[in-house]
Amino acid sequence: MTRIAYRDPSDMTPQARELTNARGNLNVYRTLANAEKVFTGWMVAGDAALTSPTLPLRLRELVVLRTAYLMDCAYELGQHRDVARTAGVSADEIDAILSESDWREMPFEATELAVLQLTTELLTTQNVSAETFDRVHRAVGSQATVEVLMVINRYAGLALALNALDVDLDETARLPIPPRRDVTS
Amino acid sequence: MSRIPLVDVEQQPEPVRELMVRSRAVNVLRVLANAPDVFVGWAQMVGELFESPTFSPRTRELVILRVARLQNSRYELGHHIVMALDAGLTEDQISAIVETDDFDAADFDDTERVLLDVVTELCVTRRLSEAAFAKAHSIFGDEVIAELLMLVGCYYGLALVLNAVDVEVDAR
Repeated sequence: MTRIAYRDPSDMTPQARELTNARGNLNVYRTLANAEKVFTGWMVAGDAALTSPTLPLRLRELVVLRTAYLMDCAYELGQHRDVARTAGVSADEIDAILSESDWREMPFEATELAVLQLTTELLTTQNVSAETFDRVHRAVGSQATVEVLMVINRYAGLALALNALDVDLDETARLPIPPRRDVTS
Repeated sequence: MSRIPLVDVEQQPEPVRELMVRSRAVNVLRVLANAPDVFVGWAQMVGELFESPTFSPRTRELVILRVARLQNSRYELGHHIVMALDAGLTEDQISAIVETDDFDAADFDDTERVLLDVVTELCVTRRLSEAAFAKAHSIFGDEVIAELLMLVGCYYGLALVLNAVDVEVDAR
């Protein structure tokens, strides 16, 4: 059971309340909103990440699921199993990603495999081999490589908070995927 | 050497350029600014963590240094050891946090000891035992615990990016 009280959206800043409502009023947000002096900035950063056009949605969800699995985060797994399905990840693919190594045998695209390898190395060793890094960097370029790393950054850090606070998975509410912004010129 | 090219500071739009000119940790910003779609939001988040009065600079640096140590982040350690000294942590305390892991050998107060123990358990096990959470919660309460977790999460995650890209510590 969630270890601290949920914040009522009426106790949030207008910007945080608007973003919380737009993102399904989920337990994760109502829990972290207790940190009222920093919650708005965290929500703004999340909004930028969720609406960024840089990464294909499917690739982003592969990274999120692999991160959630390696961080042993039940809440992220509960949310993103469903979000990933919406993003075109099959049930078999999800099962493979949420296992130690079955994903290596699945027919993922080369870029997806390289990104899953990078995510796995980084979260199990705190580092990435030059070969793995170069494979991802060559395939997607600097901008998308940094965004992949920022997805790992955000969901690994968030997993610690969700695990520490033992946040209950929402019964039915799931993260709505907001429309993406236009590609940066 | 950084595996991602550093963006040119003078080519950045305001307020990104100004942020880089003001910062002592420029290389991390010049790497992350390769992703302009998420950079400004991330920077706002970090800015709020630094402007918040919830933790003193000394307490904040103690937490960040412990995360940096446990994530083996050369870049975070390179910058935050200096900031921790500026914020009043002693060389013995810093050594206990980032080298020896022997907190008893340094003169921390009770609250600092609880913070170090909580951050250590969280980063090592990825969760908090009932006892560890209860102790921290009785001292800090809902808001401060939540903000502590946001601070830990920020530097835990950032360390992964810095390690992966192998960002060089800025010259002083």
